[in-house]
Amino acid sequence: MADKWIFWFNELRSEHNDMVGKKCANLGEMVHLGMRVPPGFAISVDGYKRFMQTTGAGKEIREYVRKNKKDLKDAVGKQVEASRFIRDVIQSKPMPEDMKLLLWEYYEQLCEQLQCTDVPVAIRSSGAISMPGQMETYLNVCGKKEIIEKVIQVWGSAFTTRAIAFRLEKNMELDKAPIGVAVLKMVNAKCAGVTLTVLPTTGDLSKTVVEGNWGLGESVVSGEITPDSFIVDKESGKAETTINKKTKMVVYKASGIGIVKVPDDLQEKPCLNKEELEEIVRIAKDVEAHFDMPQDMEWVFDADLYFPENLFWVQTRPAKYTQKKENQDEYLAELMTRIFKM
Amino acid sequence: MKVYDVVPGLEFDPEKDFEQSPAWFLDGTHSVPPWTPMFGWFWISFCRHGMQYGAEKLSLPTVKGWDWRFMNGGGYLTLLLVKSEEEKQRREKRFRKAILPFIEDYDGLWNGFVEEILGRYENLKSLNLDEATNIELLDNFEETINTCRRMWEIHMYMMYGTYTAYILFENMCRELAGIDDTSPLFHKLVSGFDNKVFQVDRKLWECSIRAQKEGLADVFLQNEPADIAAALAKTDKGKAFLKDFMDFMNEDGWRMQRMSEINLPTWVEDPTPALGNVKQFLSKGGDFNLDEKRQKNAEEREAAEKEVLAKVPQEQRGWFEQLMRMAQKCGIFSEEHDHYLDLYTHAMMRRSALGLGKRWAQEGTIDDPEDMFFLIPDEIRRAGINPDQFDMRYIVNRRKAEWEEWQKTPNPPAMLKEGFDLDQAMGVLVQSNDPIALKVVVGAMPEVRPELKADLYGTCGSPGVAEGPARVIMTEDELHLVKEGDILVAATTSPSWTPIFSMIKGVIVDRGASLSHAAIVGREYGIPVVMNVFEGTQKIKSGQRVKVDANMGTVYIQD
Repeated sequence: MADKWIFWFNELRSEHNDMVGKKCANLGEMVHLGMRVPPGFAISVDGYKRFMQTTGAGKEIREYVRKNKKDLKDAVGKQVEASRFIRDVIQSKPMPEDMKLLLWEYYEQLCEQLQCTDVPVAIRSSGAISMPGQMETYLNVCGKKEIIEKVIQVWGSAFTTRAIAFRLEKNMELDKAPIGVAVLKMVNAKCAGVTLTVLPTTGDLSKTVVEGNWGLGESVVSGEITPDSFIVDKESGKAETTINKKTKMVVYKASGIGIVKVPDDLQEKPCLNKEELEEIVRIAKDVEAHFDMPQDMEWVFDADLYFPENLFWVQTRPAKYTQKKENQDEYLAELMTRIFKM
Repeated sequence: MKVYDVVPGLEFDPEKDFEQSPAWFLDGTHSVPPWTPMFGWFWISFCRHGMQYGAEKLSLPTVKGWDWRFMNGGGYLTLLLVKSEEEKQRREKRFRKAILPFIEDYDGLWNGFVEEILGRYENLKSLNLDEATNIELLDNFEETINTCRRMWEIHMYMMYGTYTAYILFENMCRELAGIDDTSPLFHKLVSGFDNKVFQVDRKLWECSIRAQKEGLADVFLQNEPADIAAALAKTDKGKAFLKDFMDFMNEDGWRMQRMSEINLPTWVEDPTPALGNVKQFLSKGGDFNLDEKRQKNAEEREAAEKEVLAKVPQEQRGWFEQLMRMAQKCGIFSEEHDHYLDLYTHAMMRRSALGLGKRWAQEGTIDDPEDMFFLIPDEIRRAGINPDQFDMRYIVNRRKAEWEEWQKTPNPPAMLKEGFDLDQAMGVLVQSNDPIALKVVVGAMPEVRPELKADLYGTCGSPGVAEGPARVIMTEDELHLVKEGDILVAATTSPSWTPIFSMIKGVIVDRGASLSHAAIVGREYGIPVVMNVFEGTQKIKSGQRVKVDANMGTVYIQD
């Protein structure tokens, strides 16, 4: 186990996938690409291991798995039981003192950096190998005590029934969960949305599409509302703008998220102004050039900060799109490239 | 004087090799039973070279091919992974261009290579070994080494590119049409195609028809395969038949009895296995059932294509169909490459080595021409031009003794560094995204479903249900034991097993993936194949009644 088990995002790159999990490694990589991500830090897989070892939870789980291995493979009921047992074991253990102090130190630094006390954060799991979305996320976590509690809960969420079944099916070891944790500032979203550096319906690579709505990006991603749409020519910067009536938006609630009505005066107002749109497109083009592949990206503007410090990126990945007929061969080549990323 | 390692520089060395990789897997498909030293030298040196060459030519983003080591006649392999994210991205960029020839003109690419390699074989065969000078014999051997090396380059470059397309097709079928590579509908999409191996089988069947017409059937039916040639030679009609049969062998019989070894005769030297196939066709009677089945498979394929295409969104159909055509070629390549590449090259290796061996035996350098298989190229060069000046028997004897030792204890399935277990090692294989590791070596893991109460669980290689007596076959020389209506049980199968697929009702193999030989051929013959049952050859005994339900991936032992 490495001594260092906690990292600021700017200390990470995508090659640290195994160390801190995919989500954290991606956030680190994005920082290095000049994309601002919500400030925060990552707890490495070693942090998890340290917890499991120091508290004795790892040993208890190993014993349990060893005793029940045979039953576990056969009965779903047993897997549900195992999930409950393991999560109870993990959540019953207090955070070791030295780990707690270090976590608090990082959290305090984050608060300091953002000039606010008890800054609300999101705590998300960051698996080193991709498993179907079975791990949990906690939003709006405030204060030192609650942070420690939720980090432990995220670790426990590596043992949901589905995760256990998945590991059994793939013949992976049950008691080892390579899981990292991301602790990042909750963005107080003014508006949010997605950007594709290709026109998905025609495969036109000369255009970037930006779609956005007030509030969090979930309303745009889920397709529940018709967002504002900006089709920007990458070369000339000329934008084709469609402003739609946006009646609903997604916001953070005390726990989780919820849908609320958009204030009347904002419904038909563009959610982005010219300089905000230009900033999004500028960065999107850079990132696309870096990967040499059209990107599908998610962005958020924070209501508490000033432009351009208020633009945050939360995701970038290869875009899916319909290719132009004449580019069919290249498109197939690109699809083949993607299978090496799974 | 110190006797060399069998494969200098590539002998397994626990101390150093575990530093490089914690897990080395035995190539159980090709190196069980343990190889002769010469064959091991060729395989380890050039299969290794070919895999790294193929991965590099294509610039595969995540993997740089495989590394190989030699240990006690076994080949052990490990993956060479791309280490940094930056390098992956660089390789990705190149890969997108490097894969294009496969997409643009697959047939042109493959046919070009076939032509190139057949040209090399013709060149090697053009030397009359009995009349050649020592220098010419040595040159022929050196050229055989170069040919083997080139063969592996073509082999692995083609295999990596082809399987990549196939994997993408599987993924897209899953994503767009909701079917995966173990579903019967998927199998229908990729069957109903002819290939060179089937064409050879067809010619063998035609020979059985001719034997029938010319009244020679009894010669086959009343003799053991090994005696058929001699019995045929007793009559004029038989002689004429045999002459044509040997012409056919000279055309298509450059293959080994054992897929990856050179110490058994080729069909050209000894046509017994081929004559045995003719005999099997005669005793079975009837038509060449593959023709009829292929017709039916082709019709079913067309229906399946329509069904699947209808599920794909209109605007995606163009590239999806293009990809489907590529994936369909994958099965053809998987079978044909064995014929044109591995089997033929190995036959050339045997031919050239025995050419030298005969001369050396005459000169007293060694006792028996086949002793050459216990020497490696550097040693052959030592005595190549002046064999009369050297006595190589001390090396032959020592190596032969070692080789006999190797046969006594099976090589372990994997060499693992302390603290590293097989599950972890398999995990690394899967995560590499190496197309060959995924489609040939690992395969899909079977799902154990207790409610089905089966004795063995596997994955579907070819759909269907069948019942019959089990026939456990471990090596090629037991193939003649297979009877009409048997269910074949084997560790794995290879092209020399193809003819018996016309007689059997189902197949159970210990290991395999959707592009393994048993799956491809099973689909063409329309018989169920259950793969990856792991312990079929241990649990099932010949003669027991078994039921296979490939659709569910289950095997029931009924006795």
